[in-house]
Amino acid sequence: MIAAMTPTKAKTAIQTIDLSVSYNGKPALKAVNAEFYENTVTALIGPSGCGKSTLLRALNRMNDRIPDAQVQGKVLIDGKDIYDRRMNLTRLRREVGMVFQKPNPFPMSIFENVALGPRLHYGLKGRVLEEVVEDALRKAALWDEVKDDLKKNGLALSGGQQQRLCIARMLAVQPRILLMDEPCSALDPISTQKIEELIVELGKQYTVIVVTHNLQQAARISHYTGFLMYGEVVEWGETTQLFERPQKQETEDYIRGRFG
Amino acid sequence: MQTEATLTGIAQRSEWEQRAARRDAQRLRKNALLTTLFGGMGLLTTLLVFALIAVIAYKGAPTLSWEFLTQPPREGMSAGGVWPMIRGSLLLMLGTFLLATPLGIFGGVCLAEYGERSRIMRFMHASVAALAGTPPIVYGLFGLAIFVLKFHFGVSLLAGWCTLTLFSLPVIVLTTETALKTAPAALIDGGLALGLSRWQTLWRIALPYALSGILTGVILSLGRAAGEATPVLFTASIYYSTAQLTLGWETLRQPVANLPYYLAEGYRQPGVVPDHLIWGACLTLIMLVLLLNAGAIFIRSRTRRRYL
Repeated sequence: MIAAMTPTKAKTAIQTIDLSVSYNGKPALKAVNAEFYENTVTALIGPSGCGKSTLLRALNRMNDRIPDAQVQGKVLIDGKDIYDRRMNLTRLRREVGMVFQKPNPFPMSIFENVALGPRLHYGLKGRVLEEVVEDALRKAALWDEVKDDLKKNGLALSGGQQQRLCIARMLAVQPRILLMDEPCSALDPISTQKIEELIVELGKQYTVIVVTHNLQQAARISHYTGFLMYGEVVEWGETTQLFERPQKQETEDYIRGRFG
Repeated sequence: MQTEATLTGIAQRSEWEQRAARRDAQRLRKNALLTTLFGGMGLLTTLLVFALIAVIAYKGAPTLSWEFLTQPPREGMSAGGVWPMIRGSLLLMLGTFLLATPLGIFGGVCLAEYGERSRIMRFMHASVAALAGTPPIVYGLFGLAIFVLKFHFGVSLLAGWCTLTLFSLPVIVLTTETALKTAPAALIDGGLALGLSRWQTLWRIALPYALSGILTGVILSLGRAAGEATPVLFTASIYYSTAQLTLGWETLRQPVANLPYYLAEGYRQPGVVPDHLIWGACLTLIMLVLLLNAGAIFIRSRTRRRYL
């Protein structure tokens, strides 16, 4: 079903095979098979507790942080299973960046927030590091607002700016895949609009996967949408198709607001 | 029918209103009572502290002078100042600070990072907490047995540093651990999602976040160490020596005069050290400790403004 909706030119960046996650024996995600394409924005929607955040966090192994989380199945990037025991977590997370629901800038200057990753991972310093930081801040549409006070503490920024700082911080590490866990849910409408525009822009160069509660947002920013319920994929396809001609009754009920 | 129901409703409503009014009155009385009670308690505690400081200031202030702070005792300790004791106390604190801070921070990092997962670490945490409550005289005797006698340090500055370091360590370890654990999980997640290792996350993100709390703990425990006589009683103290204190390795092996010991010993030998000198030294010691605490508060207020 997924393959039928895939434009032939799109290359798969990350793929899950029978991916199941359970917390303390309680299943949260059941045998999910999904593909995410390069230079594409995929939105994950569904009612609270449907497993969309779990799916997202399984893609960069942030579930490792939860003591009782158990993962079965595979997640393939470049044909390699990230749950392989030989997988280097640092390398994985360099490839797969993540932005959280609540902006979490580090308690340090704006520059340091963005510079920390490239400095620790690639040993960059001096002029090169400054260029990488500027580039990341530009891509995150924050440069013009902060270029004159890069020494200011990241926490002194507004909520929307903080979230874009977190996006810049992620981009500075040069990932290919960007995971965003409800990146706008803690932000006001204007900041939300800015982040949405940013996601559309980033979707041209990166594989972007966004979890969102906001259906209009999913419709506005994504090329593909996955609808999950009770830990299972109900429907997965091109966003326009899924919103205009849903194949399943549950999908239709959910997007028409008759459920959840 | 309907009128009757409405009437019942009105009756019930007014009865509820009356009950609520009674409860409001009760609540107000209770509030007033508790406010008075707790306010009074707070006032009493504050007054006690102030009374203590006021008495010492009143008795000690006349003695306090530039000469008192900068001159050695004269005329068989019956006149002159307490400079050697101040210098000794400062020396003891400096060495303790240099030894205890890194050790304590490492210990705290260790407990914070592995504390919950490992049984040994949980046991260590409990032991450190118990050590923090151990009476200082126990440290003094331990220092005497181990550093002074076993290691042949003698009664010396070095043995004093080691003993006071042991004495300050538990508090530094515990405050470091607590401060690190208050670092929000969201920050740790942010570091890990960026691909930092656990240690990098700890050093680069959690530690800077916790730094003000850690420094406060270090300073407070130093202040406590500075005022304690018993840990240095058998390990580092000398009542007074006319020997010149030279800066060199041999200094480490010499005992030092210090304020708490001077107070204890001076008071125990009535008639030798006049009362006004004791009060003056008392005030000096209190001011030293208060100065340290003020430093801790200053650091806290500055860093809080920076981080939150």
